[in-house]
Amino acid sequence: MENAYHVGMADLIVVSAPAKLITLGLGSCIGLVIFDSTAKIAGMAHIMLPDSRGGKTAEKVGKFADIAVPSVIDEMIKKGASKARMKAKIAGGAQMFALPDASTDFLSVGSRNVKETTAMLTKAGVPLVASDTGGNKGRTVEFSTTTWILTIKTLGKGTTEI
Amino acid sequence: MLDLSSFNNLQLDAIREVGNIGTGNAATALSKLLSCMIDMDVPKADLVSIYSLSEYYGDPDSTVAAVFVRSLGEFGCSLIFIQDEEDSALMVDLLLREQFGGSPPGDLQQEMLDSALSEVGNIILSSFLNAINMLIGTRHQISVPGVAHDMLASILDVVVSIFGQMGDMALVVNTELRIGGSEKDDRRISGNIVMLPDPNALELLLRKLQVL
Repeated sequence: MENAYHVGMADLIVVSAPAKLITLGLGSCIGLVIFDSTAKIAGMAHIMLPDSRGGKTAEKVGKFADIAVPSVIDEMIKKGASKARMKAKIAGGAQMFALPDASTDFLSVGSRNVKETTAMLTKAGVPLVASDTGGNKGRTVEFSTTTWILTIKTLGKGTTEI
Repeated sequence: MLDLSSFNNLQLDAIREVGNIGTGNAATALSKLLSCMIDMDVPKADLVSIYSLSEYYGDPDSTVAAVFVRSLGEFGCSLIFIQDEEDSALMVDLLLREQFGGSPPGDLQQEMLDSALSEVGNIILSSFLNAINMLIGTRHQISVPGVAHDMLASILDVVVSIFGQMGDMALVVNTELRIGGSEKDDRRISGNIVMLPDPNALELLLRKLQVL
């Protein structure tokens, strides 16, 4: 039986197989999964914002992409994963509302989240093997450490697997 | 920038009163639009942890309809009108029945229904904002409304990304409007107005209300 772990807003959870990592209702947030299928270890972070600069100290390590990516990797290494074998998948980063007027930069935080998360993965040398990002619909994601598949549910569009 | 964690009760009370004035105006506008009775609750102004915001409003996974507008000007602010999907459909139906004289065509497309919803949302939220700007003497301009149907948690990501930049807490003003049933149908329709002042607008608001 796989244990299911709910990864809340700005949380970061690293588990050993068998387990399921679940995040509900990602809008502009990112569900980041990094896994090492040989060591059977996976980590998920629910990233809210692209970068921690200019803000106060990060209260939760999963909150900002620039801190979350290295933190997931570090936590996984502590559990015995090898950085060389790590692969990543991401989902989320939607823009829930689109307004034609100006000064709605904050509404496009989703695409900035995707950009920063992808850049941080590249910087860390972890290949991004699959992603489902953007659009204007929220996503609920579930990662299985049995199949290493990320299942994405979108309202009105059904389920996709990456 | 204001530190939300140092907010006192007097300040929260003042903001609650602002919500009250806004809601009163919004309820009047909605009542005129739908030609029916509207009930409202005494608004709440709460500081909520951004990490548990969706639990504060209900089930993160539940489907809601939301209308979003942005107010530009001195008092920068975002407003969201959130309803259960079912309530939203009933409200739109009520409006269309009003417009089509009792029997709206049954085959209206989703776009048409969304357009009606965004118009109701727009009227509610603009009236809310007009009252506040009148109160504090600021000029404002309201954006075109945006509509979304999605999971509650996804919609609230907008709120989270605004407040997440300054800390862990969100200041939310909530108020519920209930559309009373007519004689033949006593189903009540509810909706929530969520007001999200920009961080620097909050300071302006408190200063104008003389509680800062």
